[in-house]
Amino acid sequence: MVVFLLILHGLCAVALLGAITHQTFAAWWPARKAIGFTPSFRAVQGAKFTNAIVILFIITFVLGAVIYPPYRLTGRTYLETMRMWSVNGSFELKEQFLAIGLGMLPFYWHVWRQSLDDTLALARKMTSALLFFAVWFGFITGHVVNNVKGIM
Amino acid sequence: MMIARLSPIFSAAFAIAYVIIEQNNLALFTYHPRINEWGWLMEPSRNGPGMYWFGWLGSSALVAGLVSLVSVPLLRNRPVPSIMGWAVPLICMVLFVYLLRAFFFR
Repeated sequence: MVVFLLILHGLCAVALLGAITHQTFAAWWPARKAIGFTPSFRAVQGAKFTNAIVILFIITFVLGAVIYPPYRLTGRTYLETMRMWSVNGSFELKEQFLAIGLGMLPFYWHVWRQSLDDTLALARKMTSALLFFAVWFGFITGHVVNNVKGIM
Repeated sequence: MMIARLSPIFSAAFAIAYVIIEQNNLALFTYHPRINEWGWLMEPSRNGPGMYWFGWLGSSALVAGLVSLVSVPLLRNRPVPSIMGWAVPLICMVLFVYLLRAFFFR
């Protein structure tokens, strides 16, 4: 069951990564014409991803919280025994970054809901960038930790 | 819409509260994964490690909710700067990198 939830957590994270990456690139580096791969990637309407990102973030976060206790008992104990401090510390950072991201979600939803309000353009860029960073960092760290010691 | 106006305050309050709560281990509840038991506030480990992260999230949400509620009468029709909603979380994330630096320099 834990392995199933871990895979589901990873799949939700992949979907979240795609959505937040599209939105962040569209906000920071908008493309006027969708010609070719890179401009097409950036030429999306970022606001349309907002609800999906909020829902995926919460689902991924909850799944991560459910599989956290098995990690605490097996994975982290192993990392401490093996003195793999940087991997352990990266996971600590992951949980703090994503917790702050969770608290920022209402504000994120608010600024992206009013997509035509130019006064919130910087807030839209920054909230997306922070979630982009937190989600990518969490994804890579989770992968590394799972490669070092899976929760079986 | 009051909820929308309060969102930057909630975001900033949550981030600040989370840093303080995490650093002082002011968990609202503790989970003991080995024996699958929950306890109120910060409890010492029972037959295995205690998990405080869930409690930190609960404490932070409670504090941020209270701060947002208290700010309602103080705000009245004053605008809430949107920079609060992202700059404070950004500073708190950077602060965590500093606070957890010992993991990377052992």
